[in-house]
Amino acid sequence: MTGKEKKAARRVLFVWLVFLAAVFVAPILVVLLNSFKGQFYITDEPFRLPTAETFVGLTNYAAGIAKTGFWQAFGYSLFITVCSVGVIVLFTAMTAWYITRVKSRPARIFYYLLVFSMIVPFQMVMFTMSKLANMLGLDNPAGIVFIYLGFGAGLSVFLFSGFVRAIPEEIEEAAMIDGCNPIQMFFLVVFPMLRPTAVTIAILNTMWIWNDYLLPYLVIGNKYKTIPIAVQYLQGGYGSRDMGALMALLVLSIVPIIVFYLTCQKHIIKGVAAGAVKG
Amino acid sequence: MAGITLKNVVKTYGPEATVIPGMDLEIRDKEFLILVGPSGCGKSTTLRMIAGLEEVSSGELYIGDRLVNDVAPKDRDIAMVFQSYALYPHMTVYKNMAFGLELRKTPKEEIDSKVREAAKMLDLERYLDRKPRSLSGGQRQRVALGRAMVRSPEVFLLDEPLSNLDARLRTEMRSQIGELHRRLQTTFVYVTHDQTEAMTMADRIAVLKDGVIQQADTPKKLYNEPCNMFVAGFIGSPQMNFIEARLEKGEGDDWYLNSGALAMQVPSGRFSGERLQKYAGTTIIVGIRPEDVISVDSHRYKESDGLIRGQVQTAEMTGAEVYLTILTSGGSRVMARVSSRIMPQVGDEITLAADGDKLHLFDRETEQAIR
Repeated sequence: MTGKEKKAARRVLFVWLVFLAAVFVAPILVVLLNSFKGQFYITDEPFRLPTAETFVGLTNYAAGIAKTGFWQAFGYSLFITVCSVGVIVLFTAMTAWYITRVKSRPARIFYYLLVFSMIVPFQMVMFTMSKLANMLGLDNPAGIVFIYLGFGAGLSVFLFSGFVRAIPEEIEEAAMIDGCNPIQMFFLVVFPMLRPTAVTIAILNTMWIWNDYLLPYLVIGNKYKTIPIAVQYLQGGYGSRDMGALMALLVLSIVPIIVFYLTCQKHIIKGVAAGAVKG
Repeated sequence: MAGITLKNVVKTYGPEATVIPGMDLEIRDKEFLILVGPSGCGKSTTLRMIAGLEEVSSGELYIGDRLVNDVAPKDRDIAMVFQSYALYPHMTVYKNMAFGLELRKTPKEEIDSKVREAAKMLDLERYLDRKPRSLSGGQRQRVALGRAMVRSPEVFLLDEPLSNLDARLRTEMRSQIGELHRRLQTTFVYVTHDQTEAMTMADRIAVLKDGVIQQADTPKKLYNEPCNMFVAGFIGSPQMNFIEARLEKGEGDDWYLNSGALAMQVPSGRFSGERLQKYAGTTIIVGIRPEDVISVDSHRYKESDGLIRGQVQTAEMTGAEVYLTILTSGGSRVMARVSSRIMPQVGDEITLAADGDKLHLFDRETEQAIR
């Protein structure tokens, strides 16, 4: 390929990528724009920009927050997400370290069970799981954290294990000689080295837990509404739905996760790249 | 400060894999002992058992007067320097060196003073705030040494610490480690596969083969009086020449060696007549180092020295010396290290001499030295 041909090819690729980006970003933009329009104009002209006639400012936001008890739902979502992600990252890192370093048959079997759990569809276990959660008293925001630990463990242990394998055992031996006991070894030496992977796993789990509807609905129901559940309860009289308030709440629910992702984006790339190099 | 004693120490990995069949070794206090041998001979395993990183399958391991078989590594008062440095990548140089002392709840001022003192000794003061990834190999190795030093251990263990460095740096670090040993006056146990490192640094060298100590002695004695062919061949570079020859009895106490490559009288007084009698009329192995295959013009040459005649196969000039490979009339190959004033070409006929005063004789079956 000559220089000119390469430049032309790059231009074509650029245009195609811009088009793809537009296709992916468009639904979010549509939701954002419609959140500032009166509800009757949303269904009629969903893709039109707000005009002087259709623009209602923050009215939809105020209505949505008032109708759904949004801040309480936000609080529950935040609590469940932060606690679940924290517990997943901490315990799966420990598990991966143990499984990788203790070279025994039970450890290997346990690892394969965890990996296998990734391919079991949620729909297969959801009814028995919700019944069990109820029986064990886990049907509350604190209890659901452990259920998320169970569902998030497979992938997280799998990712951590790969990274732990890449850590030279000599570093841990040096720590042993320096005077570390196993707890100190994990928290002072191993876990800090797993930080890029820990951040990647935290991000991945945050995104699916924050947006999760089905598990909270089954386990904690409408007693402790998270944001996705609260949005579903946005009903008017006779089954009607306030589309404006719905759009506004959808924007409010995704803003935190977008901010979180943009803040941590470089860590994902670092974590993936580091894993690739070490792998 | 403490010596180390291994009493019939055995290391097995399951019933089929015995790495160390039974080792007895005494390392004196403040001694610099080097474990040397080919890959897989058990030298690192031995070091790791001393460190407590490998379990002793049976036998007794003492550091000083303490039996330490079941003592955790952190309680053995040892420090270790690893081949790959094993620095903590998320900690600064300062923190790497201070970490062990912090775990032992040493007062902050004492930690600071010890770290800075070690950093000064190792010329690391400028790098204390840096992380290991921004250091060169030699700097990292010095940090690893510093981390070991600040703990003032009874025993220093070093597992091939220089093998990841380039040749120039290795030479530089060798002298630094030697200097460190002299300053600290602590027992050093060092593992390497490089016999040059062993010869230049050690008070004593233990040569291992298949988990068994072949000989543990000073470098000079190992070089001049190897106890068997393995030690003779392992120590010294290039490797000692081994030539099969028939030992014949002459008149009186005279003995003669006859082979296609070499024919000479065995120098009197160097070997016990009683021992030689046992091998009369049999084939034994004659060992002669390349540097003891000399030019007939050399001041070392004596009439009693055996002549080696043959054709030059290779001639490698290294500057002041030339390494020659000679195909003798008997069909065997002999390597010689001579002055570059002699610069034969490949294919030239050449006559050299085997310095009789430097001859070694070995039993062909047992490979043990005949003295």
